[in-house]
Amino acid sequence: MKKEETVKLISAEGMEFVIDKEAAMLSQTIRNMLTSPGGFAETEHGEVTFPEISALILEKICQYFYWNLQYSRGKETEFHIEPELTLELMMAANYLHT
Amino acid sequence: MPVLRSREIPPVPPNPRKARYNVDPPSTPTQGREQPATRLSSPPSLTPSPKTDGSVYGSAPFSLRRSLRLYSKGSSNADDQFGLPAVEKSIGSRNGDVSKKRKLSGDVDDGDVNGGGGGNEVVESYMKGKSIAESEYIEKSERKDEIENVNRKRRFSREEKGKGKLVVETDLESEDESLVDVSFSDVELPAEEVKSPDEKLSKRSNRRTSGGRMERFRDAARRNASRFAYFNTREEEEENNNNLSVEAEREIPSVEEHIEEKVVEDWPGPFSTAMKIIRDRTANLNVRQGSSSSDQVPSVQIKWVPQKGKGKDGSKRLPPSLLDLSLRVLVDNADAIASLDHVPDAMRHKLCQMLCDSRQMNSNLLDLLLSGSPTEIRLRECSWLTEDQFSECFVKCDTSNLTVLQLDYCGQCLADYNIPSTLARSLNSLPALTTLSLTGAYRLSDAGLSVLVSSAPALRSVNLSQCSFLTHGAIEILASSLASVLLELFINDCQSIDAMLMLPSLKKLERLKVLSVAGLESVTDKFIKEIITARGDGMKELILSGCGKLTDSSLKIIAETCSSLRSLDIGNVPKLTDNSLGYLASGCRSLELLKLCRNTFSDDAIGAFLEISGEVLKELALNNVGKVGHNTALSLARRSRNLVSLDLSWCRNLTDEAMGLIVDSCLSLRVLKLFGCTQITDVFLYGHSNAKVEIIGLKLSPLLEHI
Repeated sequence: MKKEETVKLISAEGMEFVIDKEAAMLSQTIRNMLTSPGGFAETEHGEVTFPEISALILEKICQYFYWNLQYSRGKETEFHIEPELTLELMMAANYLHT
Repeated sequence: MPVLRSREIPPVPPNPRKARYNVDPPSTPTQGREQPATRLSSPPSLTPSPKTDGSVYGSAPFSLRRSLRLYSKGSSNADDQFGLPAVEKSIGSRNGDVSKKRKLSGDVDDGDVNGGGGGNEVVESYMKGKSIAESEYIEKSERKDEIENVNRKRRFSREEKGKGKLVVETDLESEDESLVDVSFSDVELPAEEVKSPDEKLSKRSNRRTSGGRMERFRDAARRNASRFAYFNTREEEEENNNNLSVEAEREIPSVEEHIEEKVVEDWPGPFSTAMKIIRDRTANLNVRQGSSSSDQVPSVQIKWVPQKGKGKDGSKRLPPSLLDLSLRVLVDNADAIASLDHVPDAMRHKLCQMLCDSRQMNSNLLDLLLSGSPTEIRLRECSWLTEDQFSECFVKCDTSNLTVLQLDYCGQCLADYNIPSTLARSLNSLPALTTLSLTGAYRLSDAGLSVLVSSAPALRSVNLSQCSFLTHGAIEILASSLASVLLELFINDCQSIDAMLMLPSLKKLERLKVLSVAGLESVTDKFIKEIITARGDGMKELILSGCGKLTDSSLKIIAETCSSLRSLDIGNVPKLTDNSLGYLASGCRSLELLKLCRNTFSDDAIGAFLEISGEVLKELALNNVGKVGHNTALSLARRSRNLVSLDLSWCRNLTDEAMGLIVDSCLSLRVLKLFGCTQITDVFLYGHSNAKVEIIGLKLSPLLEHI
């Protein structure tokens, strides 16, 4: 993966997730953060920090991004969510607008 | 088709009223054959013999045909032995019209019709249905014969002059009306009526050269099948509309309105201009098309070509959002939810909604919702909640921060006696409550409401729909404590509230912006006049659906006074005529939401209205407004750039082309409801190029997926 096509999502604990830009852009919030004019640090470095989202949830969210891309390309599978994560996942999903 | 069930049914009992007119009236478009039965008042010269009728019909002048039908209608009503199901009756009326037209052919199939024989029975049942329907209609309007007839005829002949004969609907209606106009059909009617049968005659005889009589009947039935779905209620409504609007006009002592009712097309202003343009366009097209067109051709041509591949691919589904996925898992595992702290209100509401829809809501979850100091509680459906559970949950609830309380369908749990212990624990127990909705609280009385309202002094929106125990005293209570703060009041279907009695209290609500009196039969023109003159300036939203007594005069007042009206719902108000649309077009210039349902407005009028007011409109519902057709489609396409939601359910006259034109031109359109529009095919569904619109109501719609 080339550097220009990726973004880094940083969780509350500091764990970093590097994913494709196309995948990350599925989140309206991330898209706005990365494309808004104004010289924000996020736009420059391609890094977004989420102090409220834990690593476990963020990992699941990244998995969702890739699943979503797969789905729109035709491969329709099921996305399984562990019940314990659901509440937090729901709130994170709401925040990320995805 | 239910009609075909009626093969065994012998001929139609005619209408008793018709028998009054023993005079041989001049020509009118013919009606079908019927087996004339004997009757006391029938003219003795016409004997009830099928064979005779057959031969007579073949060659008789129109007048004889007409009188035969009339008298035969009158006679068989007396021996009403046949119990037709209501459906057939209602269908039969339309069928009767249709088959009447069929019979205009010069062919000698007349003799076959009367007396037994398979194919005839279908026809005869049409007649029967028709006359029964007419007799019902006649009985209703018996008192005001002369006046009605004169007015209707006058209005009607103007219509006839204006509109082309090739439009099917008007033809059917004209035949309908003309039946009753017998005694007054003077010079005017015959001249026009003679024309149309001639046209039809030539058309029909051209077609019917081959095939037996049975095939002809079947063909015609198949061709006209789409019209069978019309209910007689609509016709009756229209007829009553015509009749009773005259009555209503008389009730209001105003000469001006009376004149206006007759002088429909003479308003100054943009609406009448638009109407004229549309009518001229229609007339020109009809002139040009002449006799080469069939019954079903639209009066205005719509040019739209489906574009393959550009639009939303219906078979491909968008992946569900993470939010939806996690909500679904949550709902499935609702029992395992330990706490809902830190969950924002919007999420809570979504969760509640899904839980209520799938009937998994229970008191444990309610406890979770009420824990802490909740700010908003929205339960769309509380029918699962028992009184004890309600008391238990709400007794320990801290309501000091509650701004929104919605307990819909709470009749089982909410009564006068458990309010003081739960919701209205003290005089200031609901200090922040601005929105209260207690629909369906059928045990809540005025006293209970009084206790509740005294604890919630800051209420701005109150929804007490379907609280059938409340009387006008409830409105007095609201007015006494909330006169200066209440903005919205919903009292749909509160049947014990008399509109005129609550009027004084209602007028006291100084800042009323939203008023909903849907379903209240006591709402009359007088009520509307009074409340609108008092509070109309600030009115933003009016919901008057189901208020059957309202007429055009109410709309006139609304249009004149409520200049800032944003939303109007006048569905199921059958007496409104095209005049209302004219008033609205000229008066309410900022109307963003208009809901019509089962109204009898004409295609021309709606088209003209849209030409003028279409730009501002964001949501439009034309649900079951059967006459919607190509003029509306053209106006929508041209003007409705800001339209977001459109409901065209049951508008069966819209073709794929019309629909495609609308969808491709209304670029802001996001939701299109097409329930009951089975005439729409894949040509439109896969051919339109608007990628953002969601079509609900046909086979592609994911309507109840979340349940």
